Amino acid sequence: MTATRAQARWSRPRSVRSWVKRGGLSALVLVLPLVLVFGVFSWFPIVRAAVMSFQTTNLISDPVWVGLHNFQRVFADPLLLTAIRNTVYFTLLALVFGYPIPLILAACMNELRRAKGFYSVLAYLPVVVPPVATILLWRIFYDAGPNGAFNTILSWFGLGPWPWIQSQASAMPSLVLVATWSAAGATVIIYLAAMTSIRGELYDAADVDGASIPQKIWNVMLPQLRYVLLVTLILQLIGTFQVFMEPFLLTNGGPANSTLTVLLLIYRYAFGSGGTGDFGAATALSLMLAAFLALLSWIYLRATRSWSET
Amino acid sequence: MTDLARRSSITEEPAEGLSEDWHPTAGGGSKEMAPDRRSEDADRSLVSIAERRQAGIKWGLRLTFGLLLAGLVIVGLGPLLWLGKASISTTQDTLRAPFAFWPSGVDWQNLVTAWTEAEISRYFMNTVWLAIGAWLVQIFVATTGGYVLAVLKPRYAGLLYGLVLATLFVPVVVLLVPLFLTVLDVPGLGISLLNSYWGIWLPAGASAFNVILMKRFFDNLPGEILEAARVDGAGPFRMLWSVVLPMSRPILGVVSVFAILAAWRDFLWPLLVLLDPAIQPLSVRLPLIRDTVELDVFLASLLVSTTIPILLFLGFQRLFLRGPGLAGAIKG
Amino acid sequence: MVQVESFEAKYPWITVEPSEYEWDPATFSAQVAGGTLPTLFQVPFTDIQGLIAGGQVADITDLVAELPYADAFNPNILAVTQDDAGRLYGLVTAAYGIGLHYNRALFEQAGLDPDSPPQTWEEVREAAAAIASETGVAGYAQMSQANTGGWQLTSLSYNFGGRLEDGTGDTVTSTVDNPGTRAALEFLQAMRWEDDSLGDNFLYDWGTINQAFAAGQVGMYTSGSDVYNSLVTENDIDPESYGLSVLPLSGGDAGVLAGGTVVAVKSTATPGEVDAAVKWLDHFYLAKLVDEAAAVADAQALAESGAPVGTPALPIFGEEQLAQSDAWVADYVNVPLDQMSFFKENILSQALVPEPSAHTQEMYAILDSVIQAVMTDENADIATLLQDAQSQVNALIEQS
Repeated sequence: MTATRAQARWSRPRSVRSWVKRGGLSALVLVLPLVLVFGVFSWFPIVRAAVMSFQTTNLISDPVWVGLHNFQRVFADPLLLTAIRNTVYFTLLALVFGYPIPLILAACMNELRRAKGFYSVLAYLPVVVPPVATILLWRIFYDAGPNGAFNTILSWFGLGPWPWIQSQASAMPSLVLVATWSAAGATVIIYLAAMTSIRGELYDAADVDGASIPQKIWNVMLPQLRYVLLVTLILQLIGTFQVFMEPFLLTNGGPANSTLTVLLLIYRYAFGSGGTGDFGAATALSLMLAAFLALLSWIYLRATRSWSET
Repeated sequence: MTDLARRSSITEEPAEGLSEDWHPTAGGGSKEMAPDRRSEDADRSLVSIAERRQAGIKWGLRLTFGLLLAGLVIVGLGPLLWLGKASISTTQDTLRAPFAFWPSGVDWQNLVTAWTEAEISRYFMNTVWLAIGAWLVQIFVATTGGYVLAVLKPRYAGLLYGLVLATLFVPVVVLLVPLFLTVLDVPGLGISLLNSYWGIWLPAGASAFNVILMKRFFDNLPGEILEAARVDGAGPFRMLWSVVLPMSRPILGVVSVFAILAAWRDFLWPLLVLLDPAIQPLSVRLPLIRDTVELDVFLASLLVSTTIPILLFLGFQRLFLRGPGLAGAIKG
Repeated sequence: MVQVESFEAKYPWITVEPSEYEWDPATFSAQVAGGTLPTLFQVPFTDIQGLIAGGQVADITDLVAELPYADAFNPNILAVTQDDAGRLYGLVTAAYGIGLHYNRALFEQAGLDPDSPPQTWEEVREAAAAIASETGVAGYAQMSQANTGGWQLTSLSYNFGGRLEDGTGDTVTSTVDNPGTRAALEFLQAMRWEDDSLGDNFLYDWGTINQAFAAGQVGMYTSGSDVYNSLVTENDIDPESYGLSVLPLSGGDAGVLAGGTVVAVKSTATPGEVDAAVKWLDHFYLAKLVDEAAAVADAQALAESGAPVGTPALPIFGEEQLAQSDAWVADYVNVPLDQMSFFKENILSQALVPEPSAHTQEMYAILDSVIQAVMTDENADIATLLQDAQSQVNALIEQS
């Protein structure tokens, strides 16, 4: 059954006058805001990024074509390897820690008979808090002295004060913690919606076969969620590869560059202190990152093609 | 449907659910409604009714729910409650005994000081202005654009929509530097939008999500009403203003709430564009005043910055937590 | 503003529009390109030469020559804003030396005498250890972020006789890896890991260390001598607990890092604007240093608004002029000057060393990581860290 689409199909005009009469000019006028805004602030900058990566730009004089110089400079930067390593580390930590949690929460919440809405509100609340407020608040929590908020909690369990963001080893995990806190709730809601739409007959059939709860989870729920799980996985990967605010506001890449991420490096190239900013290197690195993410998405789609056919 | 289409349709699913919920009855159910699950999932989630009667499972579930509630309250709500408590504590209390309940007494003065001396009121209003302007621009661009793409459908509509969709696949970081340079020197006009709210408002309009949402909604408007309007002699403008817009309140609501929320949370872009401290919004200003404002006043300022988003959320829960929440979650 | 009114009364054809402005090297070019830079703006010492080389500040040599005190400038001070040909591109309006700031109250609690601050680095170390063990707060703290780590490490290196660069202009090379800097880092390392007197938080920049100090969480730290002004206006410090002394010097070539503020005019200003700007420079920034009436009026205005008056500074025109200006405003001094006497009396007898000039901010950023590594990694190998840093800075120098 086809939907009746809302269309205003005017027939192909044969002259400018009939085009105007048929509303062609009106359409043009009405679509002008979109075209202008997207054109100036989206399409043009995207193209410009590609161009700038092959130029040296400082804000005083005209850009100069330098070929692959920017890319070479980026590759030669010892901090690039550090940034990549740190970003991969963050992504893996976020995957191991932050990916299962929303799933478990949603699975539990799905079994609720009443008050599902209340629990949903609780879970989603951290998501709406502005990231700046969250991160600044957690920076206070992460005070490494014995009277810091989290260290006080640890002391209730007899655990010693933890350096949190003041040590190279624990800085990145601390970032993952705050990033997970603010993002998990959104994924919980997505999973919950997906779980709710799992057809009851499947569970009935499993019950008839005498399946236990773990078996039902493994054989019914997870396969039904396959598509959602795969999508949130790639979205999380893409998102965590671009982590910026947590390292920027909490540690500024420190201590000793242990939380320097690729985005932070791009920001430093362009807007870091010490000069007029190397916009060429910044755009070069951002294009490299974009290319990597595109490649990652493509590989991911190919690899999961067979799994996501439901 | 190929995987790619299905993957890209994740942004379209919410609109599907949306149109089903708000489908004007005059159109008469031309789309298949999703079966109402509410009556079914009341008695059919993973754990069956029979299982729930078993003692082990019954208590297991109760324990799980207890842990779940405790976990969500302590971990999810806890930090915010602490913020509330700390914003009316003195600095020394917060530093020395972060979990004590006001040993030195409640310091309501923090909120007043934050609002007046730390001038949080000014930055709050700046954020409000940013949000209002961004909201207007986004509504304007997405509504007119979506309308043309979905209703008027000129020959270039497909190409245009494709170009808009393409921007979804470009990570925001790529835009950062060239957009900054563009704002510094707008091509064609040769003016600088630096240090001006227009430098925030206008780029905010280039949101593919909004256009997609509006277009999908307009796609599902009942054709008969539009046809009737055209027969009555309504031109494109009239039709938009008098027919389509009044029917679009739900989707306008969704786009508005998310636009305002996004503007409230925006950090990096305003940081780069708004250099004059007097016009900076809360998100930019708070990190900068962290070391010049006393801790208790600072915490009060943080509290103030969280009020509007939380109020928006609590007031419009359904928007966030049902289907459209998906779009917001991905966008946010 | 009082000064604006009196200025506009004196020069009715000039209008002054004050704007809130913070120096930020990252956005400076953007501000120039976007036209939001004020006509007259402030810049730290380290950045003015870069601006001169980039043609971004106006030549004001002739206009300055017309000022009544043009010949009275300390030539070293003038050199800061001159190019190779001797043309002047800005004027120094304030100069500071790095000093040792300490919390008198914490000293007392730790059983130390607040009126006799440490004179050698060993004494600093002992004092820090005492404060840490008796009071539980950090005895000593070190900036380490936002380029301030490199800045302070440079200062500490000077105290131990080191220099971070060799040569000038085209022949400059980085000597970040030198005995003085090594000694400085070893000193910090010992305090951190052997004495545990640096507390638990190490990611400090200029603002956050001030905040921690004012809140009584830090016993001692080093920073510019004018920091007291900020501690009062921004961090609400208790004046009774503040003490300022000079940095101990160790070794023959030891010196104290000196820096300051330059006021310059943007090169895109019209000649009329440049002229007006220099007049404002004279009226607002410099007149109070050489003219008694202006000095008193300025001090009065500051005192009435609750701002600090009398914080020790380095002379721009010479020691006698500084002593005289101090005498003029003596009545309005509202800072605990006797608690700063150690600094005031001894700073002028210390050798003042300017900051390195080649790629300063970038070098500081690199050194930030070095300091953070020493603070957070017990097994940090100072030699390797410094060698790496030195080769990075030299690579930067070669590239340009």
